[in-house]
Amino acid sequence: MKNILKVTHLKKSYGDFCAVKDLSFEVKPKQIFGLLGPNGAGKSTTIECILNTKVPDNGIVEILGTTKVKEVFDEIGVQFQSNFYPDNIRVDEVCEMISSLYEDTEEYHKMLDEFGLGDKLKSKVSKLSGGERQKLSVLLALLNKPKLVFLDELTTGLDPQARRDVWALLKQLQEKGLTIFLTSHYMDEVEFLCDEIVLINKGEIIVQGTPEEMITKSKQPSLEEAYLHYIKEAI
Amino acid sequence: MKSFVTLLKIEIKLSLREFSGVLFGVIVPVGLMLLLGVLYGDDMTRIQQAVPAVISIGICSSGLMGIPLTVSNYRSKKLLKRFQVTPTSPLLLLSVQFVTNLIIALISSALVILAAVVFFDYTLVGSLFSFVLLYFLVVFSIYGIGLLIASVSNSINTANLLCSIIYFPMFFLSGATIPYEIMPKLLQNISNVMPLTHGIKILKGISMGRSMNEFTFPIGMLLSIGVVCIIISVKVFKYDYE
Repeated sequence: MKNILKVTHLKKSYGDFCAVKDLSFEVKPKQIFGLLGPNGAGKSTTIECILNTKVPDNGIVEILGTTKVKEVFDEIGVQFQSNFYPDNIRVDEVCEMISSLYEDTEEYHKMLDEFGLGDKLKSKVSKLSGGERQKLSVLLALLNKPKLVFLDELTTGLDPQARRDVWALLKQLQEKGLTIFLTSHYMDEVEFLCDEIVLINKGEIIVQGTPEEMITKSKQPSLEEAYLHYIKEAI
Repeated sequence: MKSFVTLLKIEIKLSLREFSGVLFGVIVPVGLMLLLGVLYGDDMTRIQQAVPAVISIGICSSGLMGIPLTVSNYRSKKLLKRFQVTPTSPLLLLSVQFVTNLIIALISSALVILAAVVFFDYTLVGSLFSFVLLYFLVVFSIYGIGLLIASVSNSINTANLLCSIIYFPMFFLSGATIPYEIMPKLLQNISNVMPLTHGIKILKGISMGRSMNEFTFPIGMLLSIGVVCIIISVKVFKYDYE
């Protein structure tokens, strides 16, 4: 099957600090792909290099059949770790703002309902709870009907019910053909969602495969134990 | 174009909601015009000097506060970076910001002139065409300085500091609020360093019937400040703090 994202020999340093060292991996269509690793492992830098908001020192990124990511931004959804909302902006305004940047978008009223934010339409984003804001940022990443979406720490700050809701929604979108690239620190989430994972530390791949393979190979009882086992081994 | 209009509408709503731009950019100058008008009474020369000075307040507060503060705020919130990963560009958002602030400045100036005409019988003696042309020259130069502040500051705090350092002395000493004519020599000398002082001098001159030819030096100065600032801004501008 054709790759929807292929990263080859990606490298990025900040001064003397090497954030990403020679990273290579592939993401297949309709996969939910998880990039895992401790804080500072280079996950966000990897996403930024793929999206070219940071220029990699070396390496090739092929995305949706091109090496020029700018050409395919219409088909890519992005949720960065930090919230970007202007002061005093309302939920409906931020939805309109993001919608206006793309050719073809979902009806945001409908999506807000699906995300349980329908009654927050006229609320200021700053007045939302942390979980609601997080859901909104996932929603905004999906507004432009992307083929591939990047979700950086997608459920940080969500309560257990809200996390399950977002998971169910993502699974649904996957069935409809969406490819998802995510980072997460929650191994239950990764185990539930991901078809393929790559574990990195200090910018290097430690292990990759399906969650089941990782558990089996590490001879640990759970994915969380396997994760800790591999990180410990790497240090 | 669809995105530009949508974003402009949202930005205007946001700046009305945020209000300080409207307060300093529109309400303060209109209030000041009314106050000066009452103080000067029938002294038409004074009123003709005051109008061009007061209309420059709107340019200054939108250009030296509005633009740099919003741009560095959007950068630190990563909104510019968010725009980088869409089919459009952060330049779209920046140009919307520019236009929003220009609209505030224009409304402010229009209201100041209207107040002066209606209540104090102000008339423009000189050429309206030159006046409008030079008004936009002042906008160009001041907004250039604003963009430069936005570009060189590496955090929102630096932007805040730079804005205050540049804005407040200009606000008080360039002749925008306190008439240049009544300042002691020392203050006039300080005042002459500020680009806005020259902007106001030119506008005053035109307002009172002098011709553009008499102001080639300050016009050249404002033009060069604008050009230099914009060139540097474009060279050092970053969408994201490293």
